[in-house]
Parts: sequence; C-alpha cells; structure tokens
Amino acid sequence: MLFGRGTKNPIKIADKKVKEWKYATCGYCSTGCSIEVGLDESGRAVSSRGVGNADVNRGKLCLKGIFEHELFESAGRGTEPKIRDSFHDEWKKTDWDTALDKTYSEIRRVQEKYGPDSVAVISTGQMLTEEFYTLGKLTRGLIGTNNYDGNTTLCMASAVSGYKRSFGSDGPPGCYDDFDQTDLLIAWGSNLPEQHPIIYWRMKEAQEKSGFPLIVIDPRVTMLAQNADRHLTVTPGTDVVLMNSMMYVILDEGLEDKRYIEANTNGIEELEAEVANYDPVTAAKICGIDEDTIRAVARQFAKAKSAMQIWTMGINQSTHGSDGVVGINNLALITGNIGIPGGTSLSITGQCNAMGTREWSSCSGLPNHRLLENPQDREDIAKFWNIDPEFFPKKRGMFQTDIYQAMELGEIKGLWLIATNPMSSLPNTARIRKAMEQLEVCIIQDCYEDTESAQYGDIFLPAGTWAEKDGVMTNTERRVNVVKPLIAPHANSKPDLWIFNRMAERFNAEGVNKGGVNFPEKAADIFLEMGTLSEGRLSDISGMTHEIIEKSRGIQWPYTAQQAADNVTPETGGVRLYTEDATFRYPDGKAKLIPLPFIDNNEVPDEKFPLWLNTGRLIEHWHGRSKTGKLSNNNKYSPIPFAEVNPDAARELGIIAGDYIRLVSPRSDAIVMAQLTHRVPKNMIFVPFHFHDCANRLTLGLLDPHSRQPAYKQSAVRMEKVADQKAAAQMSMEMRKF
Amino acid sequence: MFPVREDEPKYAFLQDKDSKSENRYGMPIELTIDGDALRDQSLNINNDSDIGDNPNRYKQHGFYFTADNCIACHACEAACSEKNDNAGHIAFRSVGFVEGGTYPDYRRQNISMACNHCDDPVCLKGCPTRAYTKFAEYGAVLQDPDICFGCGYCTWVCPYNAPQLDPVEGTVSKCNMCVDRLEVGLKPACVSACLGNALEFGVIENTPEDRSQIESQIPGFPDPSITQPNIRFQQTKTLNRDMKRVDSTAIKYHRDDDAGVYQPVLDEKHGKTKHWGMKTLLSSHENAHVMFTLSAQAVMGAFVMLIVGGSLFELPVIKAVQQSSAFIPLLIMMFVMMGAGLYKLNMHLGKPHRFYRGFNNLRHSPLSREIAGVTAFFMGLAGYTFFSFFENGFTNLLAGASAVLGMIGFAAGSYYMYKLYRIKARPFWDHWQTASTFYGSMLSLGSLLIAIVSVVMMSNTYDLIKVLALIAAIGLVIEAIGLVFHANDLKNGAGEGQAAHYELSTTFGKTYWLRNALLVLNIILTIVISSTSLTGGLGIFVGVVFTASLITMAYLGRIIFYALVIPTTMPGAFFWKNKGFVDHARESGLADMQQLGVAYERHHKFDVAELMQTVKENSLADMIAQAKAIVTGK
Repeated sequence: MLFGRGTKNPIKIADKKVKEWKYATCGYCSTGCSIEVGLDESGRAVSSRGVGNADVNRGKLCLKGIFEHELFESAGRGTEPKIRDSFHDEWKKTDWDTALDKTYSEIRRVQEKYGPDSVAVISTGQMLTEEFYTLGKLTRGLIGTNNYDGNTTLCMASAVSGYKRSFGSDGPPGCYDDFDQTDLLIAWGSNLPEQHPIIYWRMKEAQEKSGFPLIVIDPRVTMLAQNADRHLTVTPGTDVVLMNSMMYVILDEGLEDKRYIEANTNGIEELEAEVANYDPVTAAKICGIDEDTIRAVARQFAKAKSAMQIWTMGINQSTHGSDGVVGINNLALITGNIGIPGGTSLSITGQCNAMGTREWSSCSGLPNHRLLENPQDREDIAKFWNIDPEFFPKKRGMFQTDIYQAMELGEIKGLWLIATNPMSSLPNTARIRKAMEQLEVCIIQDCYEDTESAQYGDIFLPAGTWAEKDGVMTNTERRVNVVKPLIAPHANSKPDLWIFNRMAERFNAEGVNKGGVNFPEKAADIFLEMGTLSEGRLSDISGMTHEIIEKSRGIQWPYTAQQAADNVTPETGGVRLYTEDATFRYPDGKAKLIPLPFIDNNEVPDEKFPLWLNTGRLIEHWHGRSKTGKLSNNNKYSPIPFAEVNPDAARELGIIAGDYIRLVSPRSDAIVMAQLTHRVPKNMIFVPFHFHDCANRLTLGLLDPHSRQPAYKQSAVRMEKVADQKAAAQMSMEMRKF
Repeated sequence: MFPVREDEPKYAFLQDKDSKSENRYGMPIELTIDGDALRDQSLNINNDSDIGDNPNRYKQHGFYFTADNCIACHACEAACSEKNDNAGHIAFRSVGFVEGGTYPDYRRQNISMACNHCDDPVCLKGCPTRAYTKFAEYGAVLQDPDICFGCGYCTWVCPYNAPQLDPVEGTVSKCNMCVDRLEVGLKPACVSACLGNALEFGVIENTPEDRSQIESQIPGFPDPSITQPNIRFQQTKTLNRDMKRVDSTAIKYHRDDDAGVYQPVLDEKHGKTKHWGMKTLLSSHENAHVMFTLSAQAVMGAFVMLIVGGSLFELPVIKAVQQSSAFIPLLIMMFVMMGAGLYKLNMHLGKPHRFYRGFNNLRHSPLSREIAGVTAFFMGLAGYTFFSFFENGFTNLLAGASAVLGMIGFAAGSYYMYKLYRIKARPFWDHWQTASTFYGSMLSLGSLLIAIVSVVMMSNTYDLIKVLALIAAIGLVIEAIGLVFHANDLKNGAGEGQAAHYELSTTFGKTYWLRNALLVLNIILTIVISSTSLTGGLGIFVGVVFTASLITMAYLGRIIFYALVIPTTMPGAFFWKNKGFVDHARESGLADMQQLGVAYERHHKFDVAELMQTVKENSLADMIAQAKAIVTGK
C-alpha cells in the first residue's frame, strides 16, 4: 500500500470552537425538529445540530436546519425602524417610539376616516404562539378590526376547513408514530422527501421495517412518486372525483367498516347517494386514472388493517381544497381509520407554526378554536381579557385572500403586514401590486427589510427572527415545542412580542376598558395564560410549561393540568385524537360524512394556453427565499428560477436544456430557465414558487369556496422560446437581488 | 477528541464487528501489521495527541451508497459543509443525478459522492508537493492545504471530482473522512445526516445491515479500475435503458446487457450547429498552460536544433547561426521566452510563492518530474546563454556543460510534459496525439523562432530558411497525423472522449475547422518555402503570413486542447456541479452574487512575505531533511 509521506503533519479539521449548545425548535417547516445551536466564546451562533433524544427528528436535520445558525447574520436583516410619507419616498431611519406612535396614529386615523374594518392586519405562520396570541388579543380586543387573517390561508386553510367540516373542529388526529404502525400509506399531493425531509426519514425508517405499501397521488413524478408502489398520475384538480370513486367501490363492494360508521358518523346515506354518481368508468374519464386502478387502490385501502392518509398542498391549494380534505376524511371514516394506531388522516402542515396560528392567533375567531359566531365564546374571552363582549364582531371577517380583493375595491385603506410577503406569495402578482399601491398606510413588520412587499411600506418595524425570540410552536403532530432566545435580536430589531406589547400600551392608553387589557411581558407567562384558556378544550395545553416542554423535547397536545397534577409523564410521541367512539367535536360526538359533488371550475389548458402550470416547493428553499436565498449552502442548488419542461414539448419549440424561456398565462409572463425532464407530462410544466416575480405572475388562484385558499396548482400557460438569450438572462437577473 | 454526545443516536455509531481479510482487488483490508511503525501513532488532529480507541482503526474503511434510496435531499452535503466550515462554492461531497424514461415511467437516480479514499490514490501520486497522505488509520487519503500550492493537478487526475480547487483560497482541500469522528467510533457527518437511508460507512467489503449488494459500480460512476475506489453500491431497482446526465456534459449512460453495466455514450445535447466558442476559449483559466507549453516547446525545439544540429552534427546552416551576430540575440530571446512561460505557469498557481515545492514528489508525480526537467532545461539554457557571451576555453567548457544539462532537462522535461497528460480520467488527453503535437510543435515553433531572429539579425539566411522550413514541415506533418488518428479514435470511441470530440465539432466547431485549415495551409507554406526560392517582398510576405498562421494555429490548437477535455467525472445536477451553468453564471454576472455558490477564477499574487516566513521558520537542517525526503519518500 502506498501511504505517501512517512513523517506526517498534524491533521487540521475545522473546529468551530463551540462553547455552549442551546436548545430551540427549527423555524423552517412544520415538522418541528429539535435543534441545538452552538455558540462560540463570543456568543456568535456558529453551528447547528439535531437533538439526539428528541422524538421528532432523533438527531437529524435537513439542509436548511443544518445551516439555520447562519440566519441571524444573513443579508437584508432589518436594523432600524424606518418611516416615510409615501412609498415613492426614500426611507428615513427613526427611533422605536416615533415608529410605533406613527403606527398607532395611522391605524386610528384610517379607521376613523373609513371605518374600523378599513385597516387589515395580516399575520403569518412564522411567529411564535405567544406572539400570535398577543397579536390576536391586540387586534380583536383593542384595535377592533375584523379584517384580521394570516398567510396560513395560502397553505393550511383547506385542512382547517376540512377538519372542521368533518370532525367539528380543527386538529390533525394522527402523529408520526402512525408511520410505524400503519399497513398502508396514501400520500395525496404530498412530496415528503422535498417538502418535509425529516418526516420522510421517519416514514422511510418505518417502511424499511414493516414494508407497508405506499400509494402516491400526484400529477408529477416526484421522488416520492418514483419510489411508490403505485403512482396515480391524477389530472390536476380532480382528486375529489378519485376519492368519490374509491368510496363508490368500497361501499359497492361492502368493504366499509359498518360498525365504525354506525358508532361514529352521520350522513352515510347522503354520501352513498352522491358517490353513486362516480362509478369507476365515469370517474376514470374525469380524473385520468383508469377504472382498474381505482378499484384496486380502493380495495387495497379498505382491506388494510390500518391505513394512513397524508396530504399537503396538492390537495389544499385547489378550488376543491376543503372538499379534498373532507374526501380524505370520508375515506378514513368509512373504513374506521381515525384514532387507531396507523389509521389516520394527517395534514402535513406547511409553516413552522401554522398549527400555532390555527390554535391561538384568533384570526378565524377567538383563541383555541373558539368561534366569534358563538355568543358563549365571545362572552368567555371578553371577560378573560377585560373587554366589552360587544366589541367583538358577531362573525369572522374576511380571509387574507378576500382582504386583497377588498383592497382592490378600495374598502381596505390601511394594512399591517407581519412576517409575510404577499408580493411574492399571493397569486396573480399584478393584481396584488395594484392593491398595495392604493393603500393610505402600509406597515411592514419583518425580520428582513428587503422583502418585495417592503417596497410599498410607509413604516418599517424590524423584527427579531426565530431563536432571537422566546416562545413555542406547534408542529404537524400537535407537538408544542419551545424556542429560546439564544442570541440578541439583530441590531436594533425587536422581538415581535415586544412590538405587540408596545403597540398594546398605546391602544390601552385610550382608556376604553376600565383597568386596561393585560399584556404580560414574558412569553412563559403568556403561555400559562393560554394554558388557562385551553383547559377542558380539544387542544388542552394546561399541563405544559416552557420548562417541561424543553425537558420532554416537545409535548403533543392534549396534555392537561390534571395529567400534570397526577405526575403523568408526557408521552414521547404517539398521542392521537378521537381514539374513543363518538368523541368527535360535533355536539353528538359524531363526525359528518359530507357528500362532495364535483364541479370543474378550474382554468384548464386550451389552444392558446396549452400547458398546465403546476407550482411547488424545492427542498433547499424556504417560502419566498428571504432566508435561504442568502445562504449559499442552501441557495446554490437552485439559485435562479426554472421550469421543469417535458423534453418532447421542448423539442417542438426548439428549446434545449438551459435555455431561458418565456411563460405566458392569461395574467402575465415570467422568464425561467428550462430544465428538460420527463418528471412532468407533455402538457404540463412545473415552476417552483419561491422566486419573486415569477410563478405567481402567472397563477390565477381561484379561491376555494370554504377555505378561501387559492388554487395555485391549476392554471394554464403557454411556453415561448426566447430569441435573445442574453437579454433574457439579464432580465431574470435584474428581477431579483437574491 | 471529538466530543460524543450523551444522546448520540445509535445510527451514528460505527457497527463493524468482523471484516474480510482482502478486498475485491486483492488488497489487504488490514493496512498495517501489528507492531508496524505506522501503528499506535496519534493522528494529531488539531494538535491533539490522543489516540482513538476505534477497534478497526487500521482497516480500510469506505462509503456504501444505496442508490435506490437517495432522494437528493442534500443533507449529506450540508452536514459536510457545516462540519468543515466550507463556503458555498466548495463541496467535499456533492449530489448529482441521472434520469431516464418517459413520463410517467420515469426514474431519476441520485448519486452522492465524496472522496473514495482509493487503494491507488492517483491524487497522491500526481500531487507534486506531496500534500497527500494515505493514512494507515482507516485508509483515509488526506490532503494538507498548507502544503498544497494550488496547481490543481489532483483535480485533473481524480475521476470523482473529489479534490476541490478553491479559486478564492488558491489551494485544494477535500473530504477528510471525518477521521476525528472515526477516532471516537462515530460515522462521518454526511452518513449520520443521511435522510434517505442511502449513505453508509464502515470497513470495506462488509455488507451494511439491511442491504443486499456491494457492487463496485452504478450508472454514472467512472470505471473503478482506474483507482480501486473504496465505495460500494446497491442499486436494485430497474433503471431505464438510457440514463441521461442533466448537466451540460454530452454524456448519457446506456445499458450494456452483455457486460451487465451502464457505459457512458455520447448524447448530442445541443444539436450539430457549429460555433466559434471564442469567448469561452479566450477566457479559459488554462491560458497559462497554453502560454507555457507553447513557449517552452518553441524554446526547447530551437535549443535542440542548435545543440544537436549545430554543436553535435555541425550542420553548416545551423553552425552559421551559432557563429553569426544573431546567435546571442536568439539565445536571449529563448531565455526570455522560457522565463516568461515559466513565470506565467508559476503565477497561475493558487500559491505562487510555494513554487519550490514542485519537486517534492519526484518519486511518483509526472508533474514533479516535468517541473524538475524543465527547471534543469532552463538552467542549462541560462548557463549556455551566459557563457556564450564569452569566448575562451573555460567558458566554452562551461557552455558545453550547460548544453548537456539543458539536453538532459529537455529529455526529461519534454517527456514528462507529455506524460503528465496521460490521465485515464481525461480520455481526450490520454492519447499518443498529445506527444505528437508537443514534439511536432517543438519542430515547427522552434524552427520559426530561429528563423525570425536570423532573418532580422543576420544576412544570407537563404539556405537556413529552407532547412528550417523543412523541419517545420516535418513537425507539422507529425502533428497532423496525430490529430487525424486522435479525431478518428475519439469519434469511433466511447464516453467522455467521444463527447469531447462532439464538443470540438459543435461548440468550437468553427474554431476547430479554422485550426485544421491553418494546419493544412502551414504544411503547404513550409513545403513551398523549403522547395522554392522565395526572396524579396514576396519572401517577406510569405514569411509574415506563415508566422501569423503558425502562431494562430498553435494557439487555437492548444487552447482547444485545454478547454475541451471532459473528465470521467461524476454527473452533476441541473445547476449545482453543472459546468454549463457555472460558465453561464460567470459569463452573465450571476456569479457576482456570492450566495450563488459560483466563484470566479482568479489570479493570486506572489506573496513574498509568506515565502520569507517559510524560509525563516525552516532551519537549514529542515531544508536538507526536506530535500532528502524527496529521494527517500519519508
């Protein structure tokens, strides 16, 4: 053996000199991984690693989590509060008091001029739960606008709506442990390896042990689809037809769980009557899956001892998003696959704290799934918060997507945008731009000052990010986990909670409520207040404290004060909802089987626009890339916008791999680089949504009638070869700074 | 020692209990025997003198890759770059992919690849500075960036793109097998981070738990016979007959049913249109090599003609040059050209001030030998030039001795200048044509050099020019014959060589055509010059045309030689590790964005301070020991 030199020099291996590891929960997606950030002697965050004994991720992290410590010092962070008279002017730096005073007085000025609901507050799934709760209290209890919603309308609204319709309440009933228990997994429009890599790993570990069959329903040959036992290439927007037809087969062949249906559901007759219209022969012509496959999958699903269904945006982001969720729930209910180990319908959520905002933000009502429409809920919360119950609206206001349409009509004149970037994330950017331009005041509160929406801001409030702050987040499997402020907020930015509390002081000073509304300063205290409000409810967190949560590496709700008092150690995992008969959240404890008639209202490809536009996520990027677009070890895998184009379609237009192409929809156009691949069919292109001024210039985004979530995944476009490649490259480059 | 966490998950620990005695290539897996001097030494990781307690410390380890399972999540790459604190443009491990089939019967196969810590580390053998060591511990092939002078030769010879030449730092660095983790029984960071259960690590030839195959190859992986890499594969899911690369390399992998493996074949990705490709050619970082090889070959050719023709065989025409007033200016010209070429070559190094380390690996590296040979030649030339100023017995003797040294330097330098391009991982170069072109150029360019100086500086060059034209003609014909065979061999060959020829005739098609036309023209001109009696204005005109044409031809030919080589490297992805995108990013200015992960090529200044520092820090005894080590290999 040839060893080279005999005398060897010492080996040098990078040593980041970590002095201390601090605990946090990852702030990227909803998987909820426990993460430790390494700080060096000077307190700088230099390293990240997965927590070994955390049940969710068991020591693993994805590529975004691995570099999460680089976020604190990444480019474009907001440093100082800024104001200006209009968005045409240059920003002027200012102090916090001036910025907050102006925020307060502008909100009130607009409300006085145009009415209380003329100011909209649009929040996010990015903040910590205590911050959501505080913002909800501030908005519902003091500001008094009913146009308050989160960007979770763009990702999880259909899941929320579907759960509510089927089970009487939001709340995913399953958990990651179901992968270890299940005998069959169906993934509806969900690409775990790319969107939720750690959940994928949990699934892969389970599958390597038990070998359960995997069925993937997706029009694109994703990594998960390629590795599935069956891949059903459904026609975009027709999932409900496939679900109905599967139910037809199950009911027609008597494969349903009659006992379970009888004990746990209402509405089987109506359901049976509706699905009778979807025999596999008829359904195959609509959904593009042949009748034999429909029958085979339906039988396989119904006969499995336990069967698990997961879904993500392929279902939610559709005009039948809420119906799709109900359809999944219907399938689970008629086969008894809810609340049993390995049998569940589990929404794989999107943002890191989408669940926290669902539970506590008061966007769609009042805290902890309480409803504005329910007088008792209004009464209880008003009393708890020390406000007049009459101050609450009697029904929820507009959804985020509807707020923008109202903005176009001039009904909304003031906007407080918190940790969200609609210029990048909402469909049909051209409309959003016009809506933003006509605002009288726009307040941008974000940890980045270079988001595209900031260009329309009049006030900029620089916020802390992720583990510069203190609080909890809830993950996909209802696990509440904690984030600790392991580093001071960047420059003169402040935690969102601090900003809300300072705003609350200003509104409280009006003296409307005798004694004022209490806004605790510390997240841990707010958490205890929330615990009190959760007692006896579905998502009961009253047994938890920040300390117990960190010690347990996150706790799944419910974990009650009673359990804590009885010294019941929180389970490491495997906690499910609806495990007993008739424990659903409708008054009679029974879930609803809801018939789902299908109306095809999508924009489908035609002669002028012959291609389906499918949009979606890449593993290396976070939402609008304001985080990952600046970290080379994430960004480099896809630094510029591209489209997956079928090589046969490309050949007809003379497009070769690496060419810039122009995509045109009935809304606008976009320049992308062509990647030729048979991942997509000849009549479809796939464009990642992460890039500003790109995919969402093209999308139509029809709204789901129940959830108001936009159908990002069903639009029609055409593709053109660009003659001047140099100019196209220049254009693509100029359109974004990162 | 690397700190092991209390809650370190079980999957992160090495599992090997037993191991085989020999690997599939007949090499022992236990790398040293008990009591060997290489045993029980500390790896001195960051000057920590502890010795790890890994029971398999002296066994060859390797990566196991289950291609069926890889999902291209990049967690392995991220974990690696995080641990090694690498900037975005450097990656010790990277993931590329190949894909095949028609929707929806489509399959993508991802390949995660780092260093394979080969049994026959061509990097170690090739490195002129001896920056590489294969350790008896784990069989890890480690590289020391503090020794490296950034020539990048290891990146040429490695078939897997494992060594990373950092254009910013100016040195190479690479996968270190996470030996710090191995010392405490942990798997490397990349393996522990894998989310697809695709990547494993352990003693080589041990089938990992729950795996059924340990193949030496998968589609996209270069021929393992080149280096005997320590990586094993599982790939059981049926792939499509054609698996295509998605990067810009014109290669796909085609199933050879008889051989049972996938072979690289040409994939005409961008049609047949011919381009000049001039911008790419002129901005090539390898321009330093073009300038060096051309000037060195011209000077070597001229020198050999003077010494062999003039001094040895005393041919009247050459003798006349030696005795003319053109002789000294010619020698000075040669000295300057050679010096300029060497300067250009040295300054293309990432760490030019470490030039003196180029001799360190004379025992193994053809590059070291080339450097030594060329240096001897340059010294001989310098001495010969200097002593030719004088005219007495003593200086004549010294001039003669210098000429001998120059000739020895020429023989070694020119041979290894050719030999260093015979790299298996670079089929375009790995052909005898490299020799015919190099030696042919010596004849043609050497003749031109003598001719130009003579015509300007001496009278009556009529016969000389005719002889030189004939020599140039011979050189050009040799070059032409080589090129014809080369083109035919590539065209009818397979894989990367064939792909290189495809690029030659498309991306650089017009330039290639021009070079070939000039070659024919030059052969005609030399024959005309040597066989007719051109004088006066016409003679000067033809001479000027020939000079311009020969230099252009030589330059284009050589720059194509460097720009075109397609290594047998791992497939890249669509953006990441795609040469086409990297070129586009540099050309368009996209690379200005640091977060793109594409660094510009750049030159590095000669850092006198660091050189002086090295001189200061090393005693004379150290230096002698260093020099000794060149011979002894210790």
